[in-house]
Amino acid sequence: MDVSELKKNAKLEIDGQPWVVTDFQFVKPGKGQGLYKCKIKNMITGSVVDRTWRSGEKLSAADVESRKYEFLFSTGDSFTFMDSETYEQVELVADLVGDDAKFLMDNLGVDILSYNGRPVGLTLPSHVTMSVSECEPGVKGDTATGATKGATVQTGYELQVPLFIKVGDNLKIDTRTGAYVERVNQ
Amino acid sequence: MRVWDAALAAVRAQLRGAGLREVSTAIRTDAVAIEPWIEPISSAGKLLATSPELAMKRLLCRGAGSLFQIAHVFRAAEVGARHSEEFHLIEWYRDQGREEAGVEEGVAPVIGDVEQIVAAVFEGVAPLIADHGGVEPPEPPRRWRRVDLVELMGESLGQPLAGSEPADAIGALLGRVREAAGVRLGPGERPPRAPEDPELARLLAWTELFSLWSDVHLDPWLAALEPGVGVHVVGFPVSLAALAEREPDSCRAARFESHVAGVELANGYRELRDPTEQRARFELVSAMRSVHGQPALPMPEAFIGELDQLPPCAGAALGLDRLVALACGCERLDQVALL
Repeated sequence: MDVSELKKNAKLEIDGQPWVVTDFQFVKPGKGQGLYKCKIKNMITGSVVDRTWRSGEKLSAADVESRKYEFLFSTGDSFTFMDSETYEQVELVADLVGDDAKFLMDNLGVDILSYNGRPVGLTLPSHVTMSVSECEPGVKGDTATGATKGATVQTGYELQVPLFIKVGDNLKIDTRTGAYVERVNQ
Repeated sequence: MRVWDAALAAVRAQLRGAGLREVSTAIRTDAVAIEPWIEPISSAGKLLATSPELAMKRLLCRGAGSLFQIAHVFRAAEVGARHSEEFHLIEWYRDQGREEAGVEEGVAPVIGDVEQIVAAVFEGVAPLIADHGGVEPPEPPRRWRRVDLVELMGESLGQPLAGSEPADAIGALLGRVREAAGVRLGPGERPPRAPEDPELARLLAWTELFSLWSDVHLDPWLAALEPGVGVHVVGFPVSLAALAEREPDSCRAARFESHVAGVELANGYRELRDPTEQRARFELVSAMRSVHGQPALPMPEAFIGELDQLPPCAGAALGLDRLVALACGCERLDQVALL
């Protein structure tokens, strides 16, 4: 894959080990070469290193097995999922779930990745639908920086939404960016 | 919403007040300036403009005089807190053709324009920020300083530089900066072999050195400055300025870059007017792009064909989205995007 396809949660194979991109920043000095400054986490040992790639470089995607699971519950330190077909349960430590925890609501279908038979991480659907539990009232046009305001959804995740959004509305959210996509009827 | 209205009005008032005329050139074009690391997005057989530079210079060639544009521009795969594939570029040129012979103003007037545009947008936006929840609006730059790029590079790298060194003279520096930037080679990977053409090797080496050095040294240096100081980086090596005129008796180009609060806002040139040299520089950059496996770009023939008519002029481009974000105290461009 080309380095421009890099994003948070991309799985890479480096020196025969699976790595996941946990933090990702694109910088580009004036008319210079773009740099993809990443923190990558070894999906087996959990060790985190800084690594920078430059525009034009090529990377190998890690070949990890992925199966469908549903989210059951969390104890805080770990998250338990159930295989939708075999009802077999697996546990992921909170460290491996990371930031994705904010999208984990009951029965959410996710893909769990395993590398040599060990669960090492999860992939969320690209979009989830969540309902608004709290948001500021917004008055049309009464905004300095843009037509948005803050809102909190059922898992406690906070995001920017358009002014017309009310408590109880269902929002489609892009899990890769965390951003509001649209209001849906459900 | 009102912030954009105020910012656009401030920019227009500033540039019109300085005697520049507003134009609007085509977004879909046959060719864009060939730059090492700027990728156009194609659109039904044409390219979306990465900058209105070539079109506006052609208008200058035809006697349009000093002009400006607030353009929508597109650059593929630039996505980040301060990058977006589509953004607003304020681009302007001052026709210096009517200056008395021998008077070389160079980039000084456009550097002045950058300072005034920044001040005007901060001033236009401040009351709106203050109105909105009584937040203290961010401070505009109170003073500006200039710093010589090559001197600063030499200082921070512990090796004095002239800016014209051939590739092998900066090879060791490049190795150190790669290490410091966290660029590593995997087992079995080899650094790409330097091309035999010394000009191409120099271009590759300087471009890489500048890109990595900016990240490792320039950004922290800018961040450590006291708040309220804007910086104009001047004295770029010719290798880092594909469309700028060479300074007389020097290996430097008449290019500057302006930074506010650690954010690169503007870039300007005293414009290159020699079609032969311009074609040679584009060809060299094309060769560099093919070394990196980037797609070939068409030579901007229409632009080169008219370039001998370009009056002496200086021009600059300023990222309006970044300026609006700064004036609002926002870190990310998407925080100030209207939709």
